[in-house]
Amino acid sequence: MTEKQSKNNIIWIFTGIFLLILCIAVSIAVLITPYEKAKSYLNIIFMDQNMRITPSSGLDGLVIKENEIETTPVSNNSEQQFYSEGEIIRPSFGEQYAILTCEDISLSVPVYWGSSPELLELGACQSSSSVVLGETGNVVIDAHVNTFFADLPKLETGNQVIIYTTYGIFTYEVAEQVTFANTNKKYVLPTETDQLTLYTCEAQVLGTSSTRIGFICNLVSKQFYNPVQANTGEGE
Amino acid sequence: MRSIKLYPVKIIFAFLFIFCLLGTELTLFAKYTALNPAIFEKVVESEQLEEKTYTTLENYFQTRSNSTGIPASVYLTAIDKNNLKQGTLTSVSNAFDYVNQKSDDYQFTMDFTALENSITEFFSNYADENNFEKDDIYQQKVNSTIQEAEKEILFMTDTFKFSTIYENGWLAKAKNYMSIFNKISMLLIIITIIIFILLFTFCVKQITEILYWTGISGFISGLLLLLPCLYLKTTDYVSGFVIKDQQIFSAVVGYLHILTNQAILLSAMTLLIGALFLIIFGFLQKRKQD
Repeated sequence: MTEKQSKNNIIWIFTGIFLLILCIAVSIAVLITPYEKAKSYLNIIFMDQNMRITPSSGLDGLVIKENEIETTPVSNNSEQQFYSEGEIIRPSFGEQYAILTCEDISLSVPVYWGSSPELLELGACQSSSSVVLGETGNVVIDAHVNTFFADLPKLETGNQVIIYTTYGIFTYEVAEQVTFANTNKKYVLPTETDQLTLYTCEAQVLGTSSTRIGFICNLVSKQFYNPVQANTGEGE
Repeated sequence: MRSIKLYPVKIIFAFLFIFCLLGTELTLFAKYTALNPAIFEKVVESEQLEEKTYTTLENYFQTRSNSTGIPASVYLTAIDKNNLKQGTLTSVSNAFDYVNQKSDDYQFTMDFTALENSITEFFSNYADENNFEKDDIYQQKVNSTIQEAEKEILFMTDTFKFSTIYENGWLAKAKNYMSIFNKISMLLIIITIIIFILLFTFCVKQITEILYWTGISGFISGLLLLLPCLYLKTTDYVSGFVIKDQQIFSAVVGYLHILTNQAILLSAMTLLIGALFLIIFGFLQKRKQD
């Protein structure tokens, strides 16, 4: 192999490497801007890179947690000390965090935090866009009329509704009955005063109804099991 | 390399040839693979989408029975898995007929005769048993139940969500771009051929060199497509798809897997053909030197 031939071979190899580097560099330069624009969308569309959630059509992915909740009436619970302001334990989505009772219509229903068809099969659901019991605002709870809230339309003004949670007991009094369309959000919107809104579908023979029957209840008392934890100021 | 004066020109043309080759590969890939209804049909078959759609509908109607009082069996006995499969295939073919300007509008419907009969029969029996009058309100209830059920089944069966894409105007946009896309595709093929002829002309005195320039162009264009595809394949990036509804997940991820595999096959073939040309060139060079 002559020196010239050897030189030619080096040029061929060098040309190939040069072209490869050049093309990669040009491709990166051209694609970097569109990639940056598309990156955030791609990160959302393909966000489950660890594949934590398996594809399903049922309950998979929804963690339902049941809690032991004491439902002894306050009058029978003389040993328990209650506080008018206290510690609130925030529930997670799918957690049963309360039991709703009304002696006047013999109602006792578990209440789950969040609303989904699966949870509505297990009890009443409190909208996660409403306030947690104990906080000031509108507590919105609904359930199916064919199951847990079948007797709800029997409620009358003045009836007491007591809700037991793991952190306290909350007593309400029915103030008003309302009827509204399912598209009307007036009664499920946040309020500045303490209020409980219970609603269900209008009972029909078969099929779904677009009309909702609701009851607005005013807060009578809040009784917490534990006082508000004093802020120790640690870490400040 | 006798004609050193032409060397920079050849590099420039090889550079252009690489990107034209890549562009041609991508447009042909899009036309014959990504936008090919047969690929969607393959996904329907391989992922058994009708089974997943049926399971989703089964869960839906069972859950709904709590609020409607209508047993899920009223709907499910009237839903045939073959009809669901046929429905999905119809949604695909109708969408492509619209995009390819074979039809003026995208419409997707299915035969719901059995479902309508089942719901009507159930309502009728229920009304008879409970002595309800079959008046206008009763008829409205039957009709609204049928409409709701049909709407839900159509929504679930349209696993590739062409109806949603159409309603958002994207299918109409795709239709407009399709004619431009075909022209671009043709233009790229013509430019690629012209560049190849020019490259061939520059190498006419050392005809074996065309093997080198074609080979290196094929090799690099193949590599440029192969590397990102291999990244997608090895990390299984597309399986991170966020919508976890069984039938939608399987449809989208199944489709993207097929596209990734086909793109790997295409780019690997281009790369190997390029490598083969380079090997032949090297062999001829060595023989010449000997």
